[in-house]
Amino acid sequence: MVMSLKQLSLERNGKSVLNNISGELAGGKIIALLGPNGAGKSTLIQAMARLLACEGSIELQGKNIATYSSQLIAQKLAYLPQHSQLQFPLEVEEVLSLATLPFALTKLQQRQQVKQVISDWGIETLAHKDFRQLSGGEQQRCQIARTYLQLSNMKKAGRGCGLWLLDEPASSLDLQHQKQLQAVCHRAAAEGHCVVIVLHDLNQAMRLADEVWLLKDGELVAQGEAKEVMTEALINQVFNVSVRRIEDQGDHFFVFS
Amino acid sequence: MIKKLLVSPLGWLIGILLSLGICLGALFLGSLDTHSLLNSEIGHNILWNIRVPRVLLAFVIGASLSLAGVLIQSNVRNPLADPSLIGVSGGAALGAALMIVAADFIDIQAHYYIPVAAFIGGILATMAVLKLGRNDMPGGMALLILAGIAINVVAASLIGLLTYLATDSALRHITFWSLGSLASANYFWLVLCSTALLIVCLWLPKQHRKLDAILLGQAEANTMGVDVKRLQIQSIVLVALLAALAVSACGIIGFIGLVTPHIGRMLVGASHRYLLPLSFFLGGSLLVIADGIARTIIAPAELPIGIVTALLGAPVFIWLLVREGRRLQW
Repeated sequence: MVMSLKQLSLERNGKSVLNNISGELAGGKIIALLGPNGAGKSTLIQAMARLLACEGSIELQGKNIATYSSQLIAQKLAYLPQHSQLQFPLEVEEVLSLATLPFALTKLQQRQQVKQVISDWGIETLAHKDFRQLSGGEQQRCQIARTYLQLSNMKKAGRGCGLWLLDEPASSLDLQHQKQLQAVCHRAAAEGHCVVIVLHDLNQAMRLADEVWLLKDGELVAQGEAKEVMTEALINQVFNVSVRRIEDQGDHFFVFS
Repeated sequence: MIKKLLVSPLGWLIGILLSLGICLGALFLGSLDTHSLLNSEIGHNILWNIRVPRVLLAFVIGASLSLAGVLIQSNVRNPLADPSLIGVSGGAALGAALMIVAADFIDIQAHYYIPVAAFIGGILATMAVLKLGRNDMPGGMALLILAGIAINVVAASLIGLLTYLATDSALRHITFWSLGSLASANYFWLVLCSTALLIVCLWLPKQHRKLDAILLGQAEANTMGVDVKRLQIQSIVLVALLAALAVSACGIIGFIGLVTPHIGRMLVGASHRYLLPLSFFLGGSLLVIADGIARTIIAPAELPIGIVTALLGAPVFIWLLVREGRRLQW
């Protein structure tokens, strides 16, 4: 098991933002966190990345996450936040090279890896641009590439299967790059890593996720296989909308009714 | 490193600047021939007891303030922060002023305790500003700057209050801090400030990538293996050390810490691998130039150096604000 959550709870200003959340995150799985705005998806993913202190316990690869050093954490999980906050003129290549920071790599290895990731992600034209001048989608692609590079170094460093935490990575991506993101998530899972992804698009979750965690008001309403959890009744209840689930040649889609 | 510097245009430029700085002043040393310079008592005194320590101290303090500026801007991820804007200089000046006034009432060697008081004042002010301005929250940047302004105002008011309690000599001493001057430069301050700068320069080489990571955000840096809290505490202590010693040696010198990192970023980008050494040399050179202007423009009198750096730096600061405003579409 890559990570185990036991009875996680968190209160902010007297309001419960996470309430008694437990679950197991297995290697080789893609887990989608779904729920309306304010459900606690980003908070939960931040707690998984040890960015928030919560009640309850989190075990990363069998050990309490609190006992890890910052560097060791970075060798076992990679985190993509919702927004980039860069205020200074760093080049895309410089941003990407930071993915190698947790690992003891030579400068030559760092350069080779960055060159490779630039080529893999087809961002050669962006490599020497100021990160702040990129569009939202371009920034997001670069950040996904950075965290994926960090993730792919975990096995090479002998740290076992890693955890890839993605907070709304598809929000600014066009269709082509959403497809690229899906392919990379599948590749990461095939390599044995666990991918946790916050999504708003139900159809994307249905296509991508092996497992879905449905949150509302800080509570885990349901968790399990996507097709079992994402029933019409439950989605309507959690999101307070009216949708229909339709099936076409074994694939399931949601449409507004 | 030294070999590279000696053959680089930057090394030559710094050498020329330092030589010019040593020659310039009420008496232009370049007009004396080598023989009279080395053999006359006046020439010897001016050269070794006034000009050399002053120009070297200007370089060391300029480099210190510039590095402090880079460190504070990167740690709070705020391009408009500098040691004086976030209160460290105000706090250091308050600490120094307290010690100057206290020395008149209790029998202590103020000369030795002023740097300690300035250092403690600088650290306390910085901690207060960071506590008040939560930079990791939305709108935190504005909060941080406002907190810095508030702490500076409190420090300035308390210094004002102290001037009523101060004796005439202490009052002159305090006035000196608030305007800034390198006139009292000597080898004691040169050794002290150079030691602090050396400590920071020895610490920096292993931090440049961590500082790059912090630029992306605290959460990203944390998940890239950087112990952000530890790095920030270390940085703040070192910024307080550099700024407090600079304030102790020559009073408040504004804008060097703000402007030089920006000039550096325009030249080489924000990667600390290049920005830190460039800011070191730029900051040092700019203060040598500012000091040269300060003591020659109304020679034989001299302007307080804080006025020169403010006059040079304020337009750049305004330009930065306008550019930042345009970028954020305020």
